[in-house]
Amino acid sequence: MDLAGLAWVIGGASGALPTATAAAVGAAGAATITALYLLRLRRRRVVVAFAPLWLGAAGTERAARRTRRLRHWLSLALALALFATILSGAVDLGRGTPARGASDRTGRSLQSGSSLQSGRSLVLLIDRSASMSATDEAGSRLAAARRRADEIVAGLSPADSALVASFAADATAESGFESDPRRLARAIAGVGPSDEPGDLQRALAFAAAILRGRLRPTVVLVSDGGFTDDARRLAPLDPDGRALDVRYAPVGRRGDNVGILSLAARRIPADPGAVETALVVQSFRPTSATVGVEVDSGGTTVDRIAVTLAPGERRRLTLPDLFAPDARIEARLTGAHDLTDDLAEDDRATATIPPLPRRRILRVGGADLYLDGALLGLGRTVHVDRLPAADADRAAARAPDYDLVVFDGVTPSTPPATGRYLYFDPQGPGSPFAAAREARSVRDPVLDPASVRRDHPLLRQLDLTDVNVAEAHRLALGPGDVALAASFDVPLIVARQRPGLRIAALAFDPRRSDLPMRPAFPLLVANALAWAVRDDADAATSAVAPGTTARDARESDTTPVRTLALGGRVLAPPDPPARDSRATVANWALILAAALLLFDWLSYHRRWTT
Amino acid sequence: MTAAGDSAAGADGAARADGPIGSRFDERFLRKLESLALTIRRTTAGRSHGLRRSRRVGAGLEFADHRDYVPGDDLRYLDWNLYGRLERRALRLYEEDEDLSIDVLVDASASMAMGRPPKLDLAFQIGAALAYVGLSNLDRVAVTALGEVAAGPPPARGKARILPILRYLDAVRPLQGTSRASRTSLAAAVREFLSRRRGRRRGLVALISDFYDPAGARAALELVRRHRLEAIAVQISAPDELAPRLRGDLQLCDAETGEARDLTISPHALADYTRRHAALLRELVGYCRERAIPCFTLSSEQPFDAVVLRMFRAGGLLG
Repeated sequence: MDLAGLAWVIGGASGALPTATAAAVGAAGAATITALYLLRLRRRRVVVAFAPLWLGAAGTERAARRTRRLRHWLSLALALALFATILSGAVDLGRGTPARGASDRTGRSLQSGSSLQSGRSLVLLIDRSASMSATDEAGSRLAAARRRADEIVAGLSPADSALVASFAADATAESGFESDPRRLARAIAGVGPSDEPGDLQRALAFAAAILRGRLRPTVVLVSDGGFTDDARRLAPLDPDGRALDVRYAPVGRRGDNVGILSLAARRIPADPGAVETALVVQSFRPTSATVGVEVDSGGTTVDRIAVTLAPGERRRLTLPDLFAPDARIEARLTGAHDLTDDLAEDDRATATIPPLPRRRILRVGGADLYLDGALLGLGRTVHVDRLPAADADRAAARAPDYDLVVFDGVTPSTPPATGRYLYFDPQGPGSPFAAAREARSVRDPVLDPASVRRDHPLLRQLDLTDVNVAEAHRLALGPGDVALAASFDVPLIVARQRPGLRIAALAFDPRRSDLPMRPAFPLLVANALAWAVRDDADAATSAVAPGTTARDARESDTTPVRTLALGGRVLAPPDPPARDSRATVANWALILAAALLLFDWLSYHRRWTT
Repeated sequence: MTAAGDSAAGADGAARADGPIGSRFDERFLRKLESLALTIRRTTAGRSHGLRRSRRVGAGLEFADHRDYVPGDDLRYLDWNLYGRLERRALRLYEEDEDLSIDVLVDASASMAMGRPPKLDLAFQIGAALAYVGLSNLDRVAVTALGEVAAGPPPARGKARILPILRYLDAVRPLQGTSRASRTSLAAAVREFLSRRRGRRRGLVALISDFYDPAGARAALELVRRHRLEAIAVQISAPDELAPRLRGDLQLCDAETGEARDLTISPHALADYTRRHAALLRELVGYCRERAIPCFTLSSEQPFDAVVLRMFRAGGLLG
């Protein structure tokens, strides 16, 4: 092997072996191999004390000597062929490597050979957003991205320098500009997953800023391509406004995923003790999928439903009246066994139920254990003040300070114009429902079930069947007043709702009925409080409240993007490796073949082999 | 005490006086020799100097033993009474006290230079040890290297004469190459020795060789017997000859004839060689047993003192 060939081998075989050098290497190698084999044909001379002892048994072996000699020549021919193959492979290496000085796949002119020697400045931008946790690749997409990045680093030429960065919502530099593949590999290995959505434009701006002023700046984006249309609409530019060379190395194999995009829980305004849960699930599978949704709270499953989703379908699920023993609820998807789901991170979502609001009630009247018991049942979030019946008029003046004023068998002298009130058996001229003339009371009124307005918030979940009332007073209904329950033409429960005023009234004294003995009574008091404080415009808000889950659908859509276009221009793949793996293989093959030949020769003459 | 005093002066004292004797026999060897002689003397204590009871056919007064008849024995000494009773042909052996003449013949052919350590080294050490013990017993001792042109020191008595013998043995080099001398057979060498010995009294001849020429070995021992000399055969093999480690395609060259052959040593060939080598030794031992010739087969890696002691304990030597 001449000096040029030796230098080519020692130098890492980074280029083609020149033909003249190859010829010289081939001639030298063939001559060496032939010389070694000629030496091999010479038998080792061994002196023995008495040769006749050896001659008898070896006769047969001697007869096969010609065959053995032929085998030697065949072995020589094989070794020469092996050497020639390796040499021709080495010669062919350079021809198989594309000339990167000419043009890449996009037809864009690349730098000349002289600038190639100056090396590239690469930013390896590894996507670590939530979708990169999908498991359709071995390990995960992030693991595949790390492997792909390792390949790119292994293929860098010695003149190249690279910086490893990762991004999700933010971009982070994992290393400085390095030429040492081992340091870069360590930085790549340190990239961890995130549950944030990926912000491509921020990451590209970050990379462009880093590459400013560097020779041959290139960004290699290793990602599954799950970015918003807005992010893809803008062409990547460097800080000087020139087009940035961005290459795209896609990862991801398929898009089989069903995810929970959002989960929110709220208290029903009409019934703060009840919880309503809103859940949005979407399928990103190419075929329809049936998944189960389980809602847990306090360690137990409180609801379970099954949903069949068409490909790409997004569905909003509402779970009303959810009983939640704990302030935290968790929803999770349970798929069938044959259902593949590549992204486990979006199969669970949590939400926190807002705490009960604090309420103030002013109770006006004499002793009434039934009413006090009902008020006590409203919980510690309800504060109750009390006034004697004699202070009924003063109570009306203080009504704005309370969420509800309860007149228990007492009626202030003037009907209120604003505020929220619950009247038990209002009578006299101060009654809001006072008749023009004194009306007679009705004894033993019978509640007409057909008259019960069960859809009204006041009667929500109330059972008034067979309520016995001893005596009721006839209430005069005005405009906007609603009789929620009646004994034929005698209203027994009345609701008045006017701007700034809400009044609920029972036309009878509860103590003269068996209503306080029923579960409906505390519920009626609770409903009255809820109705009183209910906001007319308190429909479910779409704003995400604290403690709820909301995900970017792009991150749950694991459909891999093979071709990524930014600003209408398709991103090219990364350059082929400068350190061609075939060169490495050929190097080692050459060294191994030489070692084998040497070992064969040595072992034969040292009697290790025959 | 005289003998003890002589022993104390012995080979060690001689060596101190004259310095180390060559490369083969150093001071350590001489100390071992002296120690060996003392040990053997204790074994044969109570016997007169210069007297040895030898068992031989025919002469003598005291019957000792029988041995089987082999062709070539003198029919006059056949025990006809035994033959009449048992139809067994056996010779009568008698013990006879005699002043012993000991000749130690060491084969110095090229094959004896083989092995690690060389067989010749052990052969010379054994020869020297036998000579020293014989000299200590006031026997007439002579040492001869077969194939060596130069003759050994003349027969002598007294252990002070060990030094000329050691110097002679140290100067002997094994015959190398394919010269005619190197190809001389053991029988021819023994015949030449016996022709030089003519006129001396009967005695004991210790023949130390590898005996790798079976016909020549038998002929040599037969020559010794026909000259009415008692023979002792000491066969030495090298470890590489007992368990060779040769493999593969080789050109084997005979150390004495120089004949070269291209051979491929396979495991089968190796096993066949081992069988042949064992058969050669068995044949030699059988031949000697039939003729009441003490025969010892040794490996060249064995220490000489242990070998010599074993030979004396086995009997047939000076006892």
